Amino acid sequence: MKKYFRELSVAGALIVVLLALAVFAPAFFQPQPLLSLLTREAPTLVVACGMALVIICRQIDISVGSQFAVCSVTAGLLAAKGLPLPLTFLASVAIGAGMGMLNGLLVAGLRLPSIVVTLATMVTWREALRWLRQGQFVNLPDGTQWLGLSQPAGQWTLIVTAIILLVALALATKHLTAGRFIYAVGTDAEAARLAGIRPQLTTFCVFAFLGALVGLAAMMNVVQSPQVDPKSGSGLELKVIAAAVVGGVAIAGGRGNLLGVFAGLLLLACISPALTHLRVEAYWEKAIQGAIILLAVVADGVRSRKQSHSHG
Amino acid sequence: MKTAKHGFKASLLRHETILLFVVVLEWLYFNSVGPRFGSVDNTFNILRHSVEIGLLALVMTPIILMGGIDLSVGSLLGLCAILFGKFWRDMDMPIPLAAACTLGVGALAGGLNASLVTWLRLPPLIVTLGTFSLFRGLAEAITRGVDTFTNFPASFLFLGQERWLGIPAQAPIFIVVAVGIWLLVHRTTFGRSFRAIGFAPEGARYAGMPVERRLAMAYVLAGIVAAVAAIIYTSRLGQAKADAGMGYELFAITAVVLGGTSIFGGIGSVHGTLLGVAAVAILKNGLFQARQPEEFADMLTGVLLILALASSLIPKMLASLKARRQTSFTKPIST
Repeated sequence: MKKYFRELSVAGALIVVLLALAVFAPAFFQPQPLLSLLTREAPTLVVACGMALVIICRQIDISVGSQFAVCSVTAGLLAAKGLPLPLTFLASVAIGAGMGMLNGLLVAGLRLPSIVVTLATMVTWREALRWLRQGQFVNLPDGTQWLGLSQPAGQWTLIVTAIILLVALALATKHLTAGRFIYAVGTDAEAARLAGIRPQLTTFCVFAFLGALVGLAAMMNVVQSPQVDPKSGSGLELKVIAAAVVGGVAIAGGRGNLLGVFAGLLLLACISPALTHLRVEAYWEKAIQGAIILLAVVADGVRSRKQSHSHG
Repeated sequence: MKTAKHGFKASLLRHETILLFVVVLEWLYFNSVGPRFGSVDNTFNILRHSVEIGLLALVMTPIILMGGIDLSVGSLLGLCAILFGKFWRDMDMPIPLAAACTLGVGALAGGLNASLVTWLRLPPLIVTLGTFSLFRGLAEAITRGVDTFTNFPASFLFLGQERWLGIPAQAPIFIVVAVGIWLLVHRTTFGRSFRAIGFAPEGARYAGMPVERRLAMAYVLAGIVAAVAAIIYTSRLGQAKADAGMGYELFAITAVVLGGTSIFGGIGSVHGTLLGVAAVAILKNGLFQARQPEEFADMLTGVLLILALASSLIPKMLASLKARRQTSFTKPIST
């Protein structure tokens, strides 16, 4: 119970927000808007899972938004050229993994700080895309939207995919050796090395995996509309980092739980519809997001301070 | 820390000297490509456009020297620009009073970063990522994303657009801040303690240095100077919008790292940062004069940052190579 205090408190906050919405804005719970909300957040959830792993490994990746845009646009172009849908999915995942590997090489191979490396790759990818495409939208061929299914079926497919991925990764981080490696490296890379783990290899793999997940998420977003917006994914990095941090992933590494990340993401996802229902202007969303990130890290800071005091 | 090297040969191989050569080469190259590039007008133009990023890079230097980082300076510039406009237009303050209040806001915002980093000992990376979002979000909320402040009086626009004693009017402010920060970092005990803290924070603490107070000072200074940059930015463009200074933190960090300051802290110089600012500014302006798209220049800045980071590892690698060779030499002699 005490071990999962942080996750449980996030879940509690989520329930409080949902109850408040039920009382003050029951319109929030109509099935169709709720379904679209979950569909919109499904790609974000996929990226948030990967980001949580990177943060648990004591790294960070702020280039995911740019990676997302690059994957979306290239996948859209490939689909427009007539590549079948499954192959487009694979291509998008491969491109994402490639960009993740570049980050991984620079961070793990050259031991450069991940924040600055990914700041640089974020700008490089984003500006390269703007330069080459000049902000053009990509029109997708028929049958791409909702994977060629009806809209509700497509929506459910995306949601179920994201949930299955979440559960699988949550189990993997708890029970697979590779999952435990990430926690070990994030807690103490030197101790992990002495225990026979290769910290740099683990870090590299985590970045590559996040890239692959970004590629998948980009496709999950592409199939939701008839066009690809080259600006899709802007601000995604903040959203997923916020979800991870709010969900109890310690920014200092080694601690966190994917189910907590899920609760954190849902909590943040409720904010913008809650704002509209409670008649607060939507312009406040970014400021509130920043305030929530700060609140979450302050809560963690105070808690760890108290703990270090009580332990002497 | 840096071992003291003397002599002409050693100073030739210093990071700053190499960077100076790079800047000169850049200048000569763009001068041969674009006919207008080397003119006095264009030189002043480069100076005018690099003042804001230069100011941010200058105050970023002590922070990175101490092993920290501040991602929020660009967003803070936006927030300060908006509030400056708000103070002047909606609250009917005279320009000097509005500017003073803006500086106060900058100091407060820097104080927020400082208190979270020092009191709660939170990592500056995530704190300033949070305030990065918070400050920009506040700017958007205050302007509702659309409100723009314009029609500033000509006496205010003079600061950003006219010349004073033959040089751009904002240049003296930049020079004063640059000299001030250079003296602070290179000629005072503060500067020494910045490096000591960046080199080994625990060691500095045991040596009796007020680590928290020094850190707080650097973040508050960054907030105040970001406000100064916001006022100059507003004056140069004649308008303030919520997206003012977006992405400037990246250019500032690039200039600092390019200037030879180690991102891990402990090593670096203010004149290096100034050269880094010059290198980025000349690249951007040169490409603009050569009619390359702006996105291309921005992309190159990102690539440049990666290259600068990678090249900052070279001395470390050389040192470890040297150490290995020395041990292999000493072994047979000692036996």
